[in-house]
Amino acid sequence: MSFLAPLFLAGVAALALPVLFHLIRRKTRDQVPFSSLIFLRMSPPRLTRRSRLEDLLLLLLRCLVLALLALAFARPFFKQPQTLPRIAGTGRRVVLLLDTSASMRRSGVWEAAQARVASVVFGLGPGDSLAVHAIDRQIRVVTTFDQWNAQPAGAREGYVTGRIKTLSPGWSSTDLGAALVRAAEELADPTTHKSDELLQVVLVSDLQEGARLQALGSYEWPKSVRLIVDAVKSKSEGNAGIQWVPGAPGAAAAGDPSEGVRIRVVNSGDARKESFSVAWTKPGTQEPLGAPIPVYVPPGQSRIVTLPLPGTNAPAGVTQVMLIGDDEAFDNRIAVIPPEPTPVRIAYFGADASEASTPEGVSRQPLFFLRRALEGNKRQRVEITARSPDATGAVSVDQLPEVNVVTSALSASQASALRERMTAGATVLLVLSPEDSASNLSALSGVPGIAVEEARVRGDVLLGDLDFKHPFLLPFADPRFSDFTHIHFWKYRKVDATALTGARVPARFDTGDPAVIELGVGRGRLVVFASGWQPSDSQLAVSTKFVPLLQSILESAGVGVEQPSSYVIDDPVPLDAREAAAVQIRTPQGRVIPVAKGSASFSETAEPGVYFVESTGTGGSAGKVLRRFAVNLDPQESRTVPMPLETLERFGAPSIATTDRPAVEPSTAALGALAAIEAESQQKLWKWSLTLALALAVLETGLAAFGTRRSIASAAAPAESSPVSP
Amino acid sequence: MVVNGMSASSNTSPSGSKVSRLPGDLIDPRALMALDSLELRARTVVRGVTTGLHRSPRHGFSVEFTEYRQYTPGDDLRHLDWRVFGRTDRDYVRRFEDETNLRCHLVVDQSRSMDLATQGVSKAAYGATLAATLAYFLQLQGDAVGLLTLDEAVREFIPARCRPGHLRQLFQALERASSGHSTDLATALERLADLVPRKGLVAVISDFLVPVEMLIPRLRRLAACGHEVVLFQVLDPAELDFGFEQPTRFRDLETDQWIELDPSTARAGYRERFGAHQSALREACLNLGIAFHEADTRQPMERVLVSFLEQRQGARSRGVRGGEAMS
Repeated sequence: MSFLAPLFLAGVAALALPVLFHLIRRKTRDQVPFSSLIFLRMSPPRLTRRSRLEDLLLLLLRCLVLALLALAFARPFFKQPQTLPRIAGTGRRVVLLLDTSASMRRSGVWEAAQARVASVVFGLGPGDSLAVHAIDRQIRVVTTFDQWNAQPAGAREGYVTGRIKTLSPGWSSTDLGAALVRAAEELADPTTHKSDELLQVVLVSDLQEGARLQALGSYEWPKSVRLIVDAVKSKSEGNAGIQWVPGAPGAAAAGDPSEGVRIRVVNSGDARKESFSVAWTKPGTQEPLGAPIPVYVPPGQSRIVTLPLPGTNAPAGVTQVMLIGDDEAFDNRIAVIPPEPTPVRIAYFGADASEASTPEGVSRQPLFFLRRALEGNKRQRVEITARSPDATGAVSVDQLPEVNVVTSALSASQASALRERMTAGATVLLVLSPEDSASNLSALSGVPGIAVEEARVRGDVLLGDLDFKHPFLLPFADPRFSDFTHIHFWKYRKVDATALTGARVPARFDTGDPAVIELGVGRGRLVVFASGWQPSDSQLAVSTKFVPLLQSILESAGVGVEQPSSYVIDDPVPLDAREAAAVQIRTPQGRVIPVAKGSASFSETAEPGVYFVESTGTGGSAGKVLRRFAVNLDPQESRTVPMPLETLERFGAPSIATTDRPAVEPSTAALGALAAIEAESQQKLWKWSLTLALALAVLETGLAAFGTRRSIASAAAPAESSPVSP
Repeated sequence: MVVNGMSASSNTSPSGSKVSRLPGDLIDPRALMALDSLELRARTVVRGVTTGLHRSPRHGFSVEFTEYRQYTPGDDLRHLDWRVFGRTDRDYVRRFEDETNLRCHLVVDQSRSMDLATQGVSKAAYGATLAATLAYFLQLQGDAVGLLTLDEAVREFIPARCRPGHLRQLFQALERASSGHSTDLATALERLADLVPRKGLVAVISDFLVPVEMLIPRLRRLAACGHEVVLFQVLDPAELDFGFEQPTRFRDLETDQWIELDPSTARAGYRERFGAHQSALREACLNLGIAFHEADTRQPMERVLVSFLEQRQGARSRGVRGGEAMS
């Protein structure tokens, strides 16, 4: 017989209690009068007298009750022979989950984890089967049950440990819940395992509290699957990490974007250090650039520190911020790309382009208002290239930007170049002018002979029918902004929209004529304004709707949209339409990954650092950096305080911790402990001991009561039996 | 019915309970003690003994014997029995009654140690009844009976007389509760020797649980004074066999000291020492020519009385010195 908790056997020492009580009970306070003590001696020593015990049966019962209680608490079980069940085929079916998240990079953790895995693997018998999953944010199958079974019996351990040695902790966060659910589902599938097999999920992880468990919440853990948690600990205590807090969108009003970047410093609850400092890192080195900024973070708290930008005289390519003063290095460096305004290039074709040098004369022309409306802000750096429509010389299609504005008649070459560029994906905003609007519209839309005539306006017209579901007007859909009734139009050009097949009319005048027409041309689009925004045509330019309307047209054209420049490891990075054309992405390690044409996103963000989106192709444009983005650790990964096991049990996973088991050589000790726990829980001998103890206690009570009654009766007897006098 | 051949030594009762198997004509001491009056008890015992005497082959013995002797010249003529002379023409001299009658002094121990009563009858009650019985019996024969009660000192002394009403005085003295603690038998015996100059019978009723060597000089003195000394040792059965079972505290009735004992282990030692004490007492009595009667409180009173009478008869017939000169 063996015991799970042999320390409780010390309770057998309590057996001394009933013996003591029986001895004490004998020490009566009664006195018997006696005529003379001269013949009596103290000779028999007390010990000798006390060593005699009475009521031996009662004493035996009481001792037995205590012994059984101690036995029950010690959780006895009979050791089952280890080999027999395996021969009979009742082996174990184990899914081993090995955490490869970034927090496993802490000192000593990965080595300990590998040792634990090895001890689990070598603890398996010939009848057992094993599958290994490496888990972080995703689940990667390292070995399967089939691979295990396919190996000869002696070579399995070597095969699995060989596969595990190829693993190393990555940079991802930990989705523990999903991994556990998948492992449990795989085990609990009744078609894959024999009915008498023991199903176990062995989790080797640092169990950091930042691990996600949400998937477990909606999952009912199968009763047949046991979870064995093998938690590994870091050699050092505590961990601090830094995160980049990007500025909130729309915070441009704060002024100069060069004021700095905000860095959040988080210290874990079990940390001993409290003083840290934050600094930019010199490119290619581990040294701080400039004076570090000290920050005091008590354990379990976080602080925000604003780090000034490196400045103009700093070396190029400074993108790394480092945390100084923390022992665990894995989350001490982040890539930061300071916010930059998005470049917006616009080509303007209009009669007022050549007169731009005379501000007085052009102050009421379309270009004047366009420049003012798109003046550079924190988010955008707008560059408008104005061309006269009658400018000689061909316009190169390559030079045309994404957005083109046309307000007067184009030359034939310009029109064809614009048409070509538009077909390739650009947007052309055509403002119909009284003179050449028909030829412009025909040339750009590709529909010949479209009639455009000056509308006869008596007084003014207003916008009547607005389609707020259209992307252009979507920002105005809110009733607070949807009032267009104050914008007066004095002149407009009447276009028969029905001639343009596929055209959409987001806005109409109250006369029923189209005010705005959108027409898809190739991959680009043509946007037609029936009236100009300059005061000679309308009040649009001076209304509050003008700037948002232009912005929404720009956005729908795909320019001027601020791309988030910070992502988390394994996050898919969306690629916009331009990039999807043909780009390559250079990783922080210098690896170049070509992106297939038409890909909506890039998901190979496995390393932290700055990624560069480069254009492909030959010639001068190849390798040109289109944009860059930073990929950093999930902030959750810095929360390295070990999670209590109760958290797992709350989700219904009956877990057994073997945390403090030393990672010894792959011996049978670990296996023995597991087998002991299982054998004990199956046999439940403690229940029988407890039942027997209770029964004996009842018996003891009865006997004691009987004995007491009898002694009382015998004490009363002599008084009653006085003899009868003769 | 007196059992033939009963001797003093056989009075050491077996440890088993004989009370319930007593023959019908012997009275259980417990039943006897149920009688309140000491006189009634004494009369009951004596009647039981004397009714048996007539059928006894040993009839005719008596403590008192009226003596006649042939007149010899020089005798006081006042003592001549003229009626015998007138009837038979022989001259006999009759002795005066006060000379012929036995003067008996009963010494009764009333100390606290006599209060022990494990069988329902205390040694004190038994001893008092025994004293009353003897007094009644002797008074019936016309002998003078005196009494000396004692505990740590002599409590009461009633000189021996035989006038009517004297017996009641004795009974009252016997019934009086004692207030003493210890026993000072030796002093009492010395005192008695001083108080009673004339030879007579001295019956000492006690448990004699005092060192024998203290008793011997006093007993020797009494015997040397010519007294016939009879010792009645009244014992409780528990004192004989120490039949206690439970380990407990034993409290000395006289000194109130206590001792904690396990009887099962202490019994052997007790019996050994008690036996040695008894043998020493008996041997001393034998050496001094003192009659010794042992009675435990379960023993019928008649047997003690008969044993006493038998002893006197035997002593008389053997010519052992018996205090009074038997003719």
